[in-house]
Amino acid sequence: MEPKNQQKNIVVIGGGPAGIEASRTLDSLGYTVFLIEKEDRLGGHLARWDRLFPYGTPAGDVLGQMTASMGRVKWFTGTEVTQLNRLERGYNIILSNGMSVLADALLLTTGFSLFDASRKEEYGYGIYDRVITNADLEDWFSGIPVPAIDSPRRIGFVHCVGSRDEKVGNRYCSKVCCATAVKQACEIKEKFPDAVVYCFYMDLRMFGRGYEDMYLEAQKKYGIIFVRGRVSEVSEDKDGHLFVKAEDTLAGKPLRVTLDLLVLMAGMTRNTAVAPIVRALELSTMEDGFLKPKDSMTQAQSSYAAGIFYAGACTGPKTIPDTVAEAKAAAMSINEYLRDND
Amino acid sequence: MQDRFISGYHDFVLPFMIGMIFILSYLAIGIIRVIIQLPAKDRKKFFLSLINPRLWIINLRDIICDVLLHTKIWKRKPLLGYMHSSIAFGWFMLIVLGHIETWMFVPDRLSTFYYPVFFRFFVMETDHTIGGSFFFFLMDFFLLIVLSGVFLAMFKRIRSMVFGMRRTTRNQLPDRLAMYCLWAIFPVRLLAESFTAGIAGGSFLTRPMYWLFSNFLSDTYHILPTWWAYSTLLGTFFVLLPFTRYMHIPTEAFLIVLRNAGIKVSHPRNGYTTAQIYSCSNCGMCIDACPMMSQKKNLRYATVYFNRLLRRRNWAKCEISADKCLMCGKCVAVCPVNVDSCNIKQSLRAMRAVPAASDYSYFNTYSAPEPSPEKVLYYAGCMTQLTPVIYKSVGTVLDKAGIEYTFMDRDGGICCGRPLILAGRNEQAQEMIRKNTELIRQSGATTLLLSCPICYKVFRENYDLKGIRIVHYTEYFDELMRLGRINIKNSGEKIVYHDPCELGRGCKVYKEPRRVLGAAGELVEAEKHHDESICCGGSLGSLTLSYEDRKDITLHSLDNLMYASPERIVTACPLCLKTFSPYSPKKVSDFAEVVAQNMN
Amino acid sequence: MIDFGYGISPSSAINLERFDRARFDRLCAEEPDVLKCMACGSCAASCPTAGHGNMNLRKVILLLGRGCDSDALAMTRSCMLCGKCLLVCPRGINTRHLILSINKIYK
Repeated sequence: MEPKNQQKNIVVIGGGPAGIEASRTLDSLGYTVFLIEKEDRLGGHLARWDRLFPYGTPAGDVLGQMTASMGRVKWFTGTEVTQLNRLERGYNIILSNGMSVLADALLLTTGFSLFDASRKEEYGYGIYDRVITNADLEDWFSGIPVPAIDSPRRIGFVHCVGSRDEKVGNRYCSKVCCATAVKQACEIKEKFPDAVVYCFYMDLRMFGRGYEDMYLEAQKKYGIIFVRGRVSEVSEDKDGHLFVKAEDTLAGKPLRVTLDLLVLMAGMTRNTAVAPIVRALELSTMEDGFLKPKDSMTQAQSSYAAGIFYAGACTGPKTIPDTVAEAKAAAMSINEYLRDND
Repeated sequence: MQDRFISGYHDFVLPFMIGMIFILSYLAIGIIRVIIQLPAKDRKKFFLSLINPRLWIINLRDIICDVLLHTKIWKRKPLLGYMHSSIAFGWFMLIVLGHIETWMFVPDRLSTFYYPVFFRFFVMETDHTIGGSFFFFLMDFFLLIVLSGVFLAMFKRIRSMVFGMRRTTRNQLPDRLAMYCLWAIFPVRLLAESFTAGIAGGSFLTRPMYWLFSNFLSDTYHILPTWWAYSTLLGTFFVLLPFTRYMHIPTEAFLIVLRNAGIKVSHPRNGYTTAQIYSCSNCGMCIDACPMMSQKKNLRYATVYFNRLLRRRNWAKCEISADKCLMCGKCVAVCPVNVDSCNIKQSLRAMRAVPAASDYSYFNTYSAPEPSPEKVLYYAGCMTQLTPVIYKSVGTVLDKAGIEYTFMDRDGGICCGRPLILAGRNEQAQEMIRKNTELIRQSGATTLLLSCPICYKVFRENYDLKGIRIVHYTEYFDELMRLGRINIKNSGEKIVYHDPCELGRGCKVYKEPRRVLGAAGELVEAEKHHDESICCGGSLGSLTLSYEDRKDITLHSLDNLMYASPERIVTACPLCLKTFSPYSPKKVSDFAEVVAQNMN
Repeated sequence: MIDFGYGISPSSAINLERFDRARFDRLCAEEPDVLKCMACGSCAASCPTAGHGNMNLRKVILLLGRGCDSDALAMTRSCMLCGKCLLVCPRGINTRHLILSINKIYK
């Protein structure tokens, strides 16, 4: 650890897993780190989640491990960036708590927003009582009451809600929903062993270590029924039961099923709260609104602007391990940058 | 005032006469052809209209308002209106006054075409009378009016923006030639009449010009060449006329007579349509109006260019243009001559549609809906199945109003047929119309309630459901509100109403939704509204417009709706709702949703 | 000949070697969206003919791309061109124009 590193200020915007992990690493390299989080607690979306695929690790444990040793990191929750100015060297950042920081480097770990499922009117989120999202279900798993979940006997999961859908401007795959859906399907089956659980998917993307095992277990142990077909519309009967239309594309026949609960797997979309920062710093974004790194292969953590770095889902959908790895990589990229520019 | 020449003739009138005879014969043949091409029943309508005195009055009024005074353009753009009416009405008055002068002073010359036109050449002033001076004053006055219009027209070519037109039509060679003739005719006439003002007299314009010129020009050398030039310009203009945009001047009057006789488009090129497309003045109002013009590459699909292609019978390109059109009807709404281009495009689609084998035998698996006590039948339509908020809200409102109804297509139903009609497949659509009519009749309903404007239009226009009231939910809820069956409280929310094309321009329903929404919140208007509302971009009317192209139209339309910074956008069409929602900066709601939310 | 209870019917197998792509290529030129389908089945699921007629746009696209033209065309006969599939297609395929183009090219 070089003592002079301590004179270097680094501002990390976004206190999710990427921000926390990068701050810790930069701190261990001796830099002075300011971590800014607009919500009242650190953790981002991870703080709202109950368990993580593929092994069902409690999200709280993961977050707890990360935040257990924050070192000398100066972190501010409930704080937003109000002004950003590019200086000759570095950046001047003014925060909503009145603080002003002269930063030598800036790391954006602004993450993603969960897709607003009510934008897919045909699924009836916000219109039908028994249609919920993956996030609502996680709330329920964590013990927060969700009135829609009332001993359901027939449960459906709709994959790709707001992902792979040009009609909402999101052509990309959100990467984590398939595995989340399978995880949640197994969990809810554990809670309601008599329920029939369906997963409506277009393609099952079980790409990660342990995912295929989870999928197999969902079929063999939990008896989850997988239907290859995208749900096209949902209607409701007088008692609030949901009537779901899909095509069973493997059977080549239209499929109709009545359900007591429908869970929409809302995908990841760009975080709109980052727009003022993007404008102020004239950062490049991709067609879908995510931030554009300098080079997706070898400089995935660098932006086109000197001294600005990215980590995590701000550049596109990522899993937790991806995010943590990127956070470490970003810390190393910043370290190299500050050393070379000394 | 008396004849200057015994013969009352001079060779310089020849170019004018050739032009005049050419154009009159051309018009006569054209009119006869159009009448022959009309379907028999339309031809009968036309001839009957000619012996109907009431229609004569209407025709006369419409011709004066539209052809001479251009009241429709005045209302929209006053400066442009003045430009048109000054030339048209001014010129008309010059012709009329020329004839009156001839009739008053040399009545035996009235039988020739040219004499009244070149009156100032053929006469000499023998004594001053008040009547004579009055006519001279009028002639100069109207010439001045026309000249002011011509100068505005020249200015418009350079700066169309001053006239409130962002884009103006690209002119072709014959158009340009005729335009230069038209620009030159009246200044040359002024010169010619000024040179003869010493002999034939003149007024406030021509006399001072005569004095001015006689100081340094020997007018006798200039009289004849100027009159030759005047006659040649007129002759050239008349010969060019059929090949230019200016053909609308004589055609429009004929179109008005045909339209008032109740004739509708039945063929994409012949008969009535010929009168329509020749009446197109190429003014280009439809270019700015067209929602597709938000992208520059679509300029060529503007209705004015479609009409041009149709005049040349360029079927392949016409078809591309017709298939691209959203059929939103805005170009028809803004057209100063009311060219019914949507119906022309639709009949073109029908003519060019490839016959496709169809098999609707599965229709017999649908059974008639059960009648409800109030005999209200609600047909949501295909699109509404994808916007559950609409049918759910309709249900809420009807339940609260205590109206028992039957939901005809809760589990899906047969399409209304309009999408097929829009694609030019009228025969196939008839099968849907026949089966739906049968199901509705069997249900015993007396009211057919619709929430989709696309369905509403076809049910009103193409279905024979005599004895059954066909009503759109905007009209129905308005009625329920006024009867006191539903009470709406005002939330104070600032809302803007988007007129769906098929409901507004298509069915002329504008005030009912506004009355209801005005009771539910603070209603503001978009920048363009009512019949100038901008299509959402989702229209089923376009067959070839891609999803990407539609997006630009949607964004443009949303911009227009956000004009008065509303908190919420409200529409009354499932397609508009679905099209706007993904891109709107503010919440987009359906009409029924707002009513349901604000009910006591 | 011994009857095994099953046989190889030449018409039921997809034979890509014998598939003349000329017409399908013309369809691709007329409406390139035909290549965008990811076979999610939304069109077939929301189709008003589902359960009544036998229209299935997903299958139509698939079958035309495999040279099974007559099977595909038999399906399009039930289509009412209502445009619901246009609204639900996640790839934004211009389904109505696609069907009209099929009618035009495979007449």
